[in-house]
Amino acid sequence: MKNKYLFPLILFLLAVVLPFIVPEFWVHVLTEILIMGLFAASFNMIFGYMGQLTFGHAAYYGVGAYTTGLLMVKANVPLLLCLPLSMLSAGLCAAVLGYFCVKLRGIYFAILTMAFGQLVYYIIFQWYSFTGGDNGLQGIVPPDFLGRAANPYYFFTLIVVAIGMIALWIISASPFGYTMRAIRDNAERTEFIGINVQRYMHLNFIIAAMFAGLAGALWGPFNRSVAPDLCSWQHSGMPVFMTVMGGPFNFLGPLIGSAIYTMLMAFVTSFTEYWPMVSGIVIILVVLIMPGGLLGLLGDKLPFLRQNEHSTKETNG
Amino acid sequence: MNFRKTAAFFVTVITCLFFFGMTGAKAAEPYHLGVALGLTGTGALYSADQVEAIKLAAEEINAKGGFLGRHKIELFIRDTQTKPDVGVREVKDLILRDKIKAVINDYSSAVAMAVKPIAQEYKVLHIAAISNSENITKINPSPYTFQVVPNSYMQAKAAAVATAKMAKLKGWKEYITIASDYEWGRSTQAEAVKILKEMVPNLTLKKEFCPRLGEAQYTSYITGIMALKPDFVYGSLASNDNVAWMEQAKTYGFFDKIAYPGSLISVTELILQAKTLPRNLIALTRAPFFAHLDIPMMADFVKNYRAKYNKFPSDWAVLGYDAVYALKQGVEKAKTIDTEKVKDSMKGLTVNLTRGKLTFRTIDNQLSCSSYVGTITDDPKYPFPIYKDIVEVKGSESERPESEILEARKAAKK
Amino acid sequence: MDITSLFTQFLSGLTYGTILFLVAAGLSLIFGVMNILNFAHAALWLMGAYFSYTFWSWMQGNSFAFWLSIPLAGLAAAAVGWVMEVVLIKRIYKRELYEQLLITYCIALIISDTIKLTWGVTNKLIVRPEMIRKPVFIFGAPLDSYFIFVILAGAAVAIGLWWFLKYTRYGHIVKAAVYSREMVGALGIPIPRIDTWVFTLGIFLAGFAGGIQAPIGSITLGMDTAIIIQAFCVVVIGGFGSLLGTLVGSLIVGEVFSFTILFWPEGAMVLIFVITAAILIVRPWGLFGTPMRT
Repeated sequence: MKNKYLFPLILFLLAVVLPFIVPEFWVHVLTEILIMGLFAASFNMIFGYMGQLTFGHAAYYGVGAYTTGLLMVKANVPLLLCLPLSMLSAGLCAAVLGYFCVKLRGIYFAILTMAFGQLVYYIIFQWYSFTGGDNGLQGIVPPDFLGRAANPYYFFTLIVVAIGMIALWIISASPFGYTMRAIRDNAERTEFIGINVQRYMHLNFIIAAMFAGLAGALWGPFNRSVAPDLCSWQHSGMPVFMTVMGGPFNFLGPLIGSAIYTMLMAFVTSFTEYWPMVSGIVIILVVLIMPGGLLGLLGDKLPFLRQNEHSTKETNG
Repeated sequence: MNFRKTAAFFVTVITCLFFFGMTGAKAAEPYHLGVALGLTGTGALYSADQVEAIKLAAEEINAKGGFLGRHKIELFIRDTQTKPDVGVREVKDLILRDKIKAVINDYSSAVAMAVKPIAQEYKVLHIAAISNSENITKINPSPYTFQVVPNSYMQAKAAAVATAKMAKLKGWKEYITIASDYEWGRSTQAEAVKILKEMVPNLTLKKEFCPRLGEAQYTSYITGIMALKPDFVYGSLASNDNVAWMEQAKTYGFFDKIAYPGSLISVTELILQAKTLPRNLIALTRAPFFAHLDIPMMADFVKNYRAKYNKFPSDWAVLGYDAVYALKQGVEKAKTIDTEKVKDSMKGLTVNLTRGKLTFRTIDNQLSCSSYVGTITDDPKYPFPIYKDIVEVKGSESERPESEILEARKAAKK
Repeated sequence: MDITSLFTQFLSGLTYGTILFLVAAGLSLIFGVMNILNFAHAALWLMGAYFSYTFWSWMQGNSFAFWLSIPLAGLAAAAVGWVMEVVLIKRIYKRELYEQLLITYCIALIISDTIKLTWGVTNKLIVRPEMIRKPVFIFGAPLDSYFIFVILAGAAVAIGLWWFLKYTRYGHIVKAAVYSREMVGALGIPIPRIDTWVFTLGIFLAGFAGGIQAPIGSITLGMDTAIIIQAFCVVVIGGFGSLLGTLVGSLIVGEVFSFTILFWPEGAMVLIFVITAAILIVRPWGLFGTPMRT
């Protein structure tokens, strides 16, 4: 079972070496890939492991981003302290909203998460005196020990994201993670063996939101500003795209998907303003031709990519 | 025979020299100019016009060899989707991959404000030519950010002064504001309310409406306002929002009952709504070409723009054109395309633009350009109505006093 | 606040609700029968508005141009919808929820860009005929005279659909399919053909609604992203697949929006999402829907 760690290790080494080789623009792209990758991985805790589609995950990402932004701009709180606080605030939001979401399944779950996401979006958008409304918040900068160059913040992000991913991995490989899989595959049977399905789902929802909040917290200092768009339903679609591209049944699928999607967009937007059409066509092709995502497809050919989770899951409609 | 050979030899040599000379001239570094505007989303309409005018300006300058006669302008055009985070990413890309020295950006003030610190970090000139929130230059000023469009304060002041005069004249008592829910709408509305309060103290503000940016259904707002029976409504809606709002309000006979002075109706709207726009409305705009046809540069621009695109230039086209020419004159004064020097030379620089001789204010890099208030009237010379009795409110009359700017900066630091 | 202004606001809500109903009716129908939540619905609605503009400008000068362009927009959109169903949507009926959502969302992206490529970024205005440029007064409350037509068209669509579902053979099949596709298939009725035609009908309604929207303000890119979420809210409140529910849902959203603007303008959108979330929590199948089969 040793080669289970081979692929993540290769990825990590690649992530360490790449910024010294590629031009600066691509370091920014890599940073974005990491942040969005953690966001997508947290989304996949709900999607891949719990079997529910959330279309409002950006709300927690946005709450994390705004927590860090507000703390840094208005109270000069150091970034290292902002990160756990962002996780906390996103988690608290999810504790309240998720309580209602986990009562539903399937399409209703998707729509309720979306409605809550829009609710958070409008609150941030309308609350001018506190959040700056559509202006967003400017003047969020990386801490002094990182400076303003691209590489230091990239490595900071890499460390935080790596810790986040390892934490998610441990959770997903724990008995709790396997309970989630059981719920995904058959919620009724899981209930019958004495597991409080709703409570487990609620807990998982909160965990996913916390890591989305962590990803969001990294975004503000990277971009020097945050804006309400980070919470919109279109932004909630991003982790869905990424996860589906990379492969939802592989722990690293969302991260790989983030790399494909972000690089594709960085490439496409440089020569056409019709990027929505290009991304639309690409994703339709991905869904129709390789339903398991890239890692799902490669996993059939390259055994070391494969993980033990190819289940034929049913939808809980 | 011999003569022919000699002639052929000379022709060859001269041709070679000519080409050599040309490549020699070309060898000077081209000037990479970025254009990052909202080509999708609510800003698409204005941004597309601006891109056209920027292309025209670049062609004209390149026909004479480029900046300083040797640095050809190369344009790199990107879509910011009118979203701050996308704007930041695109501008980073323009800076790092396309090596731009200056960027014209954006339709949305929120995007311009997000891009400002990025441009400053990478030491790239940032010229705002549509977005005009005064916060772009007022607080946290960047020496790299310049604004060639009258800012929200200047516009609000011009409109509010005109409105206040009318309010006094007509004895208006109560009013309502309607402003699109975003940076520009909010800040323009807030300034206008302040100025109206100062100038006409007995005026009361009954309610403030803030419809969503990009709202398509204004009916509830229209009837809501009519129910409150104000004397006039002060509007801060732009672009598509203003078109939709006015089209819908008109069908309710809104403008027959309630005055609507001082809203932004640019040349784009004059052309688009030529048939339906209520006449005799007092409105405001930023750079109408017909106000300055006496200036040769404007007359030429209108002629060339019409020849190239077969339409009249909107305010946004004029502003884009001016942005490029302001940059050109900054480069000429600096005698180099080095951004650090151009930035310094543009500080306080007086430039000749289509709108006349205008100066960048030293304190905030805001071009002290005019706002235009007038009455919408038909003109036989144009297939659309234009402004009549134009009052050109000069930059010097409408700028925020420097002392207030310093105070605001001090307050923001705290 | 006097009675007249409240009545005026009620009328505004009614017209807003009617517009939402026209958009949401097709959405609800398609979801009810095929179980597909069509993200691209509003994009096709917007395309209908642009089609209507094109037909109107082709026939300019003709006194019927204005009225004729609206149903023609519906037909043109229906043609696009038919192609879409046959080429793409057919392949995803049996797919998982997320795949269906992603594909229809991507179709929405593609259609939006197609609109931009075809019609450009300039917004389009349809000039109304003289007879509907002035407001009419109902008990002293002003109403855009075009909205009388809008409300009538909404009522006609509601009654037409109701009649279709209640009294025609195809209507019965569609209604049966909402309850059990398998059963209908087992009776020897070709389900794929029914799907195609229901989808086309749904998109016809979207295009028709777009045509009706066109003369209200100006037609601009991006109008679709806002209305699709509101249409989802309507369908959720009313209940998936229920015609009556969609009607009631749109009127609720329209009136709530209209009256909140009067008293608490900032909260108008927020309140609609709160209502939607509340309905989902208490009664996920909506006011008039039936609990969904699994």
